[in-house]
Amino acid sequence: MTYINGIGCISPQNTFRNDEFLKEVKEYATDKMLCIDPDYTKFLDPGAVRRMGRLLKFGTTAGLIALRDAGVETPGAISTATGFGLLDLSQKFLADVIATQEGVVSPTSFILSTHNTVSSNIALLCGCHAHNNTFSQRGFSFESALTDTAFMLQEGKQSVLIGAYDEVGQFAHAKFKHVGELRQEPCTSSDILSKENPGVIMGEGAAFFVLSKDKTANSYGSLSGHSTLFNPENADELRNWILDFLTAHQLQVEDIDVAALGYSGATKQDALTETVQDLFKQSTITAYKHLCGEYMTASAFGFWLACKMMKTNSVPDAVIIENRQRSPRVVLVYNSYKRYHSLMLFHAC
Amino acid sequence: MEELMQNLKHQIVEQLNLQQVKAEEICNEQNLFGPDGLGLDSIDALELIVLMQQKYGLKLANPADGQKIFQSVKTIAEYITQNQPK
Repeated sequence: MTYINGIGCISPQNTFRNDEFLKEVKEYATDKMLCIDPDYTKFLDPGAVRRMGRLLKFGTTAGLIALRDAGVETPGAISTATGFGLLDLSQKFLADVIATQEGVVSPTSFILSTHNTVSSNIALLCGCHAHNNTFSQRGFSFESALTDTAFMLQEGKQSVLIGAYDEVGQFAHAKFKHVGELRQEPCTSSDILSKENPGVIMGEGAAFFVLSKDKTANSYGSLSGHSTLFNPENADELRNWILDFLTAHQLQVEDIDVAALGYSGATKQDALTETVQDLFKQSTITAYKHLCGEYMTASAFGFWLACKMMKTNSVPDAVIIENRQRSPRVVLVYNSYKRYHSLMLFHAC
Repeated sequence: MEELMQNLKHQIVEQLNLQQVKAEEICNEQNLFGPDGLGLDSIDALELIVLMQQKYGLKLANPADGQKIFQSVKTIAEYITQNQPK
């Protein structure tokens, strides 16, 4: 069994406090949702914060919150995931190169612009000199980190810090807006679930978890398995993949207490998600991307939601689509990002 | 010289994004590096080299001189005064 012993999440909602669970939901009436910042100086050296960009600050802090929550000073390995990484800093550096006509440019944005900056920064802060990988496989980035973590635990690591982070970068936001993927009509983030106004709200966030083979008093639940499916040809292939996954875990659709679905506002994806929802006629149906927006590693926010539901044994009204009064003991998260589909299965302790 | 030092303090605060320090709080002879001074580090040293080149057109001929030149705002101002192209 793989237990989740600590969590840390910074998102467009108030999620960085682990003693709260979506008490108030912030609505967004724009085409992007940005993280609510905690007081970073409570987690990071003020001297170091001055040099960090937004993503580095909220990514590193989420990792440190998860370690503190688990009571782990130094994990046995760190495995992270990101879609775009710190692309904005790379662009700033390149813009400086052009502006100075390839003269002398500030090194800071270059130094901090690599995809693995967050995981290496956490490693420096917690003194972890072990395995440290960052996966960047678009919609499967976090899922790849999960596979890596499973291998690390199999190899005998006591605990692994795993996490995912992405930000609404200027370039990516402009690109998605240009190709018409973002919402055109003004609406609130909850309207994602109404399916009347197509188009996604671009989101961001960082969610980290401490996974271990050992259960502790702080355990949120266990991760029983995960699976990925790329570009299914039709809804049947998607349904069969889900049913096969459940069978492999000795489960039937009726056994799923809560299904957390990644409705995003993207018409084609959401049509497939509806076929997934139709499978779970006895489960409480929830959604999460109206809280965090759409981004390549949003499945990590779904992971966080599952953890909080299991630990508090509650399903907040803010995420419920259909309430069948089921206690969240067995939770299935289904995420999709364009052609990337993934499942994560959890059992409460 | 005094005006140059005041300008330098503002430029250092801006270039290094020193959020906890105001330009007026930096003394002319205060150490820039190390725990007894402003606490700047090696990345800041690179930023100062960039600042010297971008704002004053000065390249450090010998990087080993950097330790002396970047000791304080006063030593930087002295170096600029002595070496800036007329």
